Amino acid sequence: MIVSEPISRSVAGSAPNETFVLNLGPQHPATHGVLRVKMTMDGEYVVRAEPVCGYIHRMQEKMGENRTYAQYLPNTSRIDYLSAMNYTHGLVGVVERAARIQVPPRAEYIRVITSELNRISSHLVWWGAFLLDLGGFTPLLYAFDDREMILDLLEGITGARLTYCYYRFGGLYNDVDETFLKGARRFVAHMRPRLKMYRALVTENVILRKRLIGIGPISAEMCRKYGATGPVIRGSGVSYDVRRAEPYSVYPELDFDIPAYPEGDSMARYLVRMDEMAQSLRIIEQALDKLPGGPVMAEKVPRVLKLPAGDYCYAVEAARGRFMVRVVSDNKEIAYRLKLRTPCLSNLSLFEEASQGMLLADALALLGSLDLVIPDIDR
Amino acid sequence: MRVVNEKDPNPKMKDNGAPATPAPGAPAPEPRPNPLAHLPLPFQAVDYNLKGYHLEAAVQPGQVAVAAGYLDSEGFSLDTITGVDWLAQGQMEVVYDYFHPTRGLRSVVRARIPRENPEIPTISQVFPGANWHERETHDFFGIRFLGHPDLSPFLLPEDATFHPLRKDFSA
Amino acid sequence: MEAQPDLSQLVKDCSPIVRFGLLDDWLALARANSLWPLTFGLACCAIEMMAAGASRFDLARFGAEVFRPSPRQADVMIVAGTINKKMAGAVKTLYDQMPEPKWVIAMGNCAISGGPFVFPGQYAVVEGVDKLFPVDVFIPGCPPRPEALIEGILKLEEKLTGKRRWPIVKPE
Repeated sequence: MIVSEPISRSVAGSAPNETFVLNLGPQHPATHGVLRVKMTMDGEYVVRAEPVCGYIHRMQEKMGENRTYAQYLPNTSRIDYLSAMNYTHGLVGVVERAARIQVPPRAEYIRVITSELNRISSHLVWWGAFLLDLGGFTPLLYAFDDREMILDLLEGITGARLTYCYYRFGGLYNDVDETFLKGARRFVAHMRPRLKMYRALVTENVILRKRLIGIGPISAEMCRKYGATGPVIRGSGVSYDVRRAEPYSVYPELDFDIPAYPEGDSMARYLVRMDEMAQSLRIIEQALDKLPGGPVMAEKVPRVLKLPAGDYCYAVEAARGRFMVRVVSDNKEIAYRLKLRTPCLSNLSLFEEASQGMLLADALALLGSLDLVIPDIDR
Repeated sequence: MRVVNEKDPNPKMKDNGAPATPAPGAPAPEPRPNPLAHLPLPFQAVDYNLKGYHLEAAVQPGQVAVAAGYLDSEGFSLDTITGVDWLAQGQMEVVYDYFHPTRGLRSVVRARIPRENPEIPTISQVFPGANWHERETHDFFGIRFLGHPDLSPFLLPEDATFHPLRKDFSA
Repeated sequence: MEAQPDLSQLVKDCSPIVRFGLLDDWLALARANSLWPLTFGLACCAIEMMAAGASRFDLARFGAEVFRPSPRQADVMIVAGTINKKMAGAVKTLYDQMPEPKWVIAMGNCAISGGPFVFPGQYAVVEGVDKLFPVDVFIPGCPPRPEALIEGILKLEEKLTGKRRWPIVKPE
């Protein structure tokens, strides 16, 4: 005989031997990588969800002490491979800041254009994979179709589809050509109606709304205590964006909004990312209009870079949040200590507290709305 | 804007990163603002354009939780916690980075502990996000955070007993 | 008396509609044309694997778009990404859980030999998935293009059936 009990009694009052441990991952289609979550369940309700990380730990920080700064550039793309340009920007930014290298304006504008294209392609992968978790297979195909346009553009200038290594200390290693500039404008014109279509097809879909509205509330105070950034904190009403808080590159000269929604539920985080794609299109258009001529590489950048002794930081707004590189240097060509502050680690650390008492399906919707890339956590 | 000196692209700096002393006769540079001067902590303003943070304080190891409490009441958020292994000096440094979500300020708190017995109080009761950062720092350096609820390995295998980012580590 | 039907002539006459062959060959053809991969994307190569399954590169043409989350239902394990020492036990368990006949494709430099994460003094990466179990096809690249993954699947089909589905296109 099954007696249904009220939620609070069933979760709070059940004896310890009535719960069971469900192991999610490390191989699981919904964890977006090798994340293991040890879930103590009371029926369908989560009592405690404890993420276990380290299954893709690739010693990125130890390699920072074994490679020169230039040799470390390819590693930056592989920390969060979906948003690779932003991560390379973090490393070149900290070296340029410490060694006082001035980057030519054309290079800065091209960096902004490529970073924003990368942000859109990262959000498209998130969108497709998130809807795959929720049960809809079609948006993944649409998202990857749009993404192929971006990848073709970036492959034309960098040679790579996913793990670019395009920025160099002092600028870029390759200038863009007319194909890229025309193609970027064509992409912006193509993407705007597509975003409208996605709004009608998916965002206003009643099933999606029932699955996301009110699910997984995260307050702004919880974000602050755990250090969550990016769409997670912007979906809780705080419009914190590194591009405005600690402006870098040529973002101060470009006009764009920071979307923030106050509700704090999964729908708010979803809407933040959809709006960010539209804002990125705005940034790309303005940067294409304002693109100056000139060199793309600073002159007289030493081939062997030694940073003066001391510690230096540089933060960028990656697709998932605040990414910061902290370098401790002892005046050698290899860093003494290279610390990577990655957004997904802070974003996931609040999952344990935020998912208590939720249904399992809702907990997975919350996990998807946090937009995690596990090598970003494990480094 | 940063200016690169064409004759010397790598200007020599003092060890603490402070800019070179101005030429004699030039007016003294304006003192940088210190929005945390009212706290009983030794915060000093630094050159943000060079270092990437606005304020830093070097505190005793026993003071890190107090510092975290003050920064929490000022509205800061925890950015990251990390360690640096100063092998030659026989010390380890624990560095706490904080950022402010609305005021755009960045502050750094440092503490040095002896290398043979690296222990420092935890701040996870002030910032729950410090839980994972301290576990990771323990994984990499072996620093024990006193009062931490669960200092088990975070990124290394569950049965790992080595601390790979120490300077005397060899696989 | 009626002449006995000439069997070899019968086979020649029916050949448009009836074919004879070894059961092994037919089974190999069926298996090659419907390889079901296990969703085992670990890191960056997983994104190129997903792109290969999406509409531009379309693994469905080769019968391989049905990614199975459960190893019990999968034929081929495409190891896409770096294998960690912490993860190695789980990978071996998944391989053991796959029923015979099974194949392994090592996709990407990390699965072949540890990739860019091998340096003197490294402590966490298993240098190649073939240190754990036998691999049938190696696909180099970091990450390999989706076309390279498709070529790897075609090579696996060639290994199964002995014949390549399409000839290699030589550039002019």
